[in-house]
Amino acid sequence: MNTSTVEIIMLIIHYFFLVFSVIAISSYSILAVISAIETIEYMKKNSFVNYKEILSSTFSPSISIIAPAYNESLNIVENVRSLLSSHYVNYDVIIVNDGSKDDSLSKLIEAYDLIQISYHINEQIKTKQLRKGIYKSTNPAFDKLTVVDKENGGKADALNMGLNISKNKYVACIDVDCLLLEDALQKMIKPFLETTDARVIAAGGVIRIANSCIVKDGKLLDINFPKTWLEQGQILEYLRAFLLGRMAWSRLNGLLVISGAFGLFDKKIAITVGGYDTNTVGEDMEIIVRMRRHMEDEKQKYKVAYIPDPLCWTEAPDNYKTFISQRNRWTRGTIETLKKHNKIGFNPKYNCLGLISYPYWFFFERMAPIIEVAGIIYFGILTVLNEVRWDYTFAFVILAYLFSVLFSIVAIVSEELTYHQYKKKSIGFKLVMIAFLEPFVNHPYILYSAIKGNIDYYFYKKIEWGDMTRKGMTKA
Amino acid sequence: MNENVYILENLKQSSPIIQLAWCLSGIFFVIITMLIMYLKYLRNHLRENEKIETKYQEEYETHLITYLYAGNDDDTLSLEQQSIINELKTCIVDPFKRKIVVSTLLKLRNEISGEIAESIDKLYIELGLLSYSLAKLRNKKWDIIAIGIRELTQFKVKGVHKVVMNNINHPKKEVRKEMQLYLIHLFSFKGLNFLNVLETSLSEWDQIQLLEVLQVANNTEIADIRPWLKSSNDSVVIFSLKLAKVYNQFEAKEELIELLDSKSENVRVNTIAALSHLNIIEAKNILKTNFAERSHEEQIAFLKMMENVYESSDKAFLLEHMQHKNFEIKLLVMEILKNINFEEYPFYESEFQKSLIA
Repeated sequence: MNTSTVEIIMLIIHYFFLVFSVIAISSYSILAVISAIETIEYMKKNSFVNYKEILSSTFSPSISIIAPAYNESLNIVENVRSLLSSHYVNYDVIIVNDGSKDDSLSKLIEAYDLIQISYHINEQIKTKQLRKGIYKSTNPAFDKLTVVDKENGGKADALNMGLNISKNKYVACIDVDCLLLEDALQKMIKPFLETTDARVIAAGGVIRIANSCIVKDGKLLDINFPKTWLEQGQILEYLRAFLLGRMAWSRLNGLLVISGAFGLFDKKIAITVGGYDTNTVGEDMEIIVRMRRHMEDEKQKYKVAYIPDPLCWTEAPDNYKTFISQRNRWTRGTIETLKKHNKIGFNPKYNCLGLISYPYWFFFERMAPIIEVAGIIYFGILTVLNEVRWDYTFAFVILAYLFSVLFSIVAIVSEELTYHQYKKKSIGFKLVMIAFLEPFVNHPYILYSAIKGNIDYYFYKKIEWGDMTRKGMTKA
Repeated sequence: MNENVYILENLKQSSPIIQLAWCLSGIFFVIITMLIMYLKYLRNHLRENEKIETKYQEEYETHLITYLYAGNDDDTLSLEQQSIINELKTCIVDPFKRKIVVSTLLKLRNEISGEIAESIDKLYIELGLLSYSLAKLRNKKWDIIAIGIRELTQFKVKGVHKVVMNNINHPKKEVRKEMQLYLIHLFSFKGLNFLNVLETSLSEWDQIQLLEVLQVANNTEIADIRPWLKSSNDSVVIFSLKLAKVYNQFEAKEELIELLDSKSENVRVNTIAALSHLNIIEAKNILKTNFAERSHEEQIAFLKMMENVYESSDKAFLLEHMQHKNFEIKLLVMEILKNINFEEYPFYESEFQKSLIA
């Protein structure tokens, strides 16, 4: 290759990175604007809603909360109590003990006076076999509770068992360690009941981080800000994702993922598409894509709704090992889902799903970390070859950094203008501080996890869910 | 100083793209600084507002309680009451204070009942708050209109219902819903007349709310639901079917049976549920005759009905459907068979298990 060919190649690479960055920044900005408009609209509409009336009505639809549990002995009794304390009238709770090796089951039996019952399971989705069977409480106070003890098959398999067991029209799939607010179910069911021009197939809610928050009897008493930068960074990350991202996707009816921590589904559609995929670690995203694909194929009008209210609080990783493992899994889940449903990508037959949602996820979720690392490596090579134009470097690095800080600050302002959950005095300053620090504190690890996720996916396919050691939320 | 000039000179000589990048960085920096200052202000403002609101609320609450118990025996206003009215009137000129006065009035309104509650409604008019609420109805913004209607509902202002009714087919469903709730809260079953002219769909959410409000009203004068059962608006029909269930509308038997042939599956399923609740036996024979032609949802609804009205003569019909491909239908059939003849249950159970394995 002569010098001019090398120069042309380099120029193409430079423009590729530039164009990619400009499109990414523009997409984030557009989504943030749409989110803001949608959130304002939601807040206005929500101020007229009286959720009390739905609570006691015999006409309120029935919901099953399905919570898979694997080795959750430490907090299982309290977590179940939290799930049983919803204000909604017409619901039941199905705990699927997914082959736990600890004493989760015996703790539940003892705490809730459970006895084994005979039950006809409508096995519409194949799952692993029952181990000890199905339990109900002899105590009328816990008549909403059903505990299923089955062979270990993973989270997706446990959720499928719950889908088979449930007799209700709607199912709320949640992580057992999640703290569900008392009004979560009535808020989540609302889009299903009020939408008359389309079928709502699923609804997702905002997940907030409960690390350092005070919890008593399954209720959130005091919201605190965690001490470590890693946890603080995740709070900011969740604020950005939920307040500036998902709300916009909901408006565009392009939501591809509902957090596995808490989502409400139309059971009939979830079963029609075959339930959760047990061969992926990203089952929460995969089922939404499959349900949407099914509705598009059937040419039925549908919607995936999103509720911006903080309804579910969960424990986030507080150490880098767990954090990397979690993000690695998210990356593999995204790759698996996009690969499995590559037919919808860039396919006009799938409307917004094929032409906007899929391409966005492909470029800015799936490819972004790879392109970023490629850029860093390329920069390293240029540095060694003494080909770096430092005036360009400084200008663009500072621009990118300031954009990321600006985006985070906008998320914080949005939070203050809407839900204002972090009321304590010093938290505002800490949130701003972490907005400046996060690109150095969390982002490198997110990037590392994403690359590791790609390597694990292509070279070590058998790696599945990582374990997360639960500490339990801070008790009052 | 020299250094700054040098940087600026350097920037001027650099390529346009670098100039653009620095320019954008400058803009971002300014926005970030402004947002951080705004955030500081916002957080303080929210905290302060909360404090001020609590302070005013306590103050107004004291005034209002004094007002409620300071009346003359002859129902005329005492001097103390008049002075409270005058003071509150000066407050409500300020929109922020007006909002707190209204919310305080509502808080008290919800806590008490009877004559005292009525005197709060009177005070609302006395203070001139009614004109503010009516002015909201003329606003172009839908949320302001909805707030206006809500205030009229909460303070039970019946006299303006014609103005409120103008919003019957308002493009925003929130306004329509507020109007519907106004009518039901204040006129109970008579308020349901809006169903005659409703062109838009009544969502399930709205239906639940209306039913709950009607039940709270506890009115014994129940409206004739028959015309609504013939409505061309399916959502009105479904709502009426729910009314038929809640208020045991046996008089509508003919109309209900006719609805078994409705074009909408949802209407048919709800009709079966209503007929089942009302124990209308005629429907059982009709449904038994054309069971196979009906959808699974209807079949399930019918079998749930049969759970309450089965006879031993139904056994042959049930046995016919013992091997139905739908699990739920099979299970319901087995349950009814068990109720008809418990001794034969082990046989049905084993048949059921066999069908599951098959």
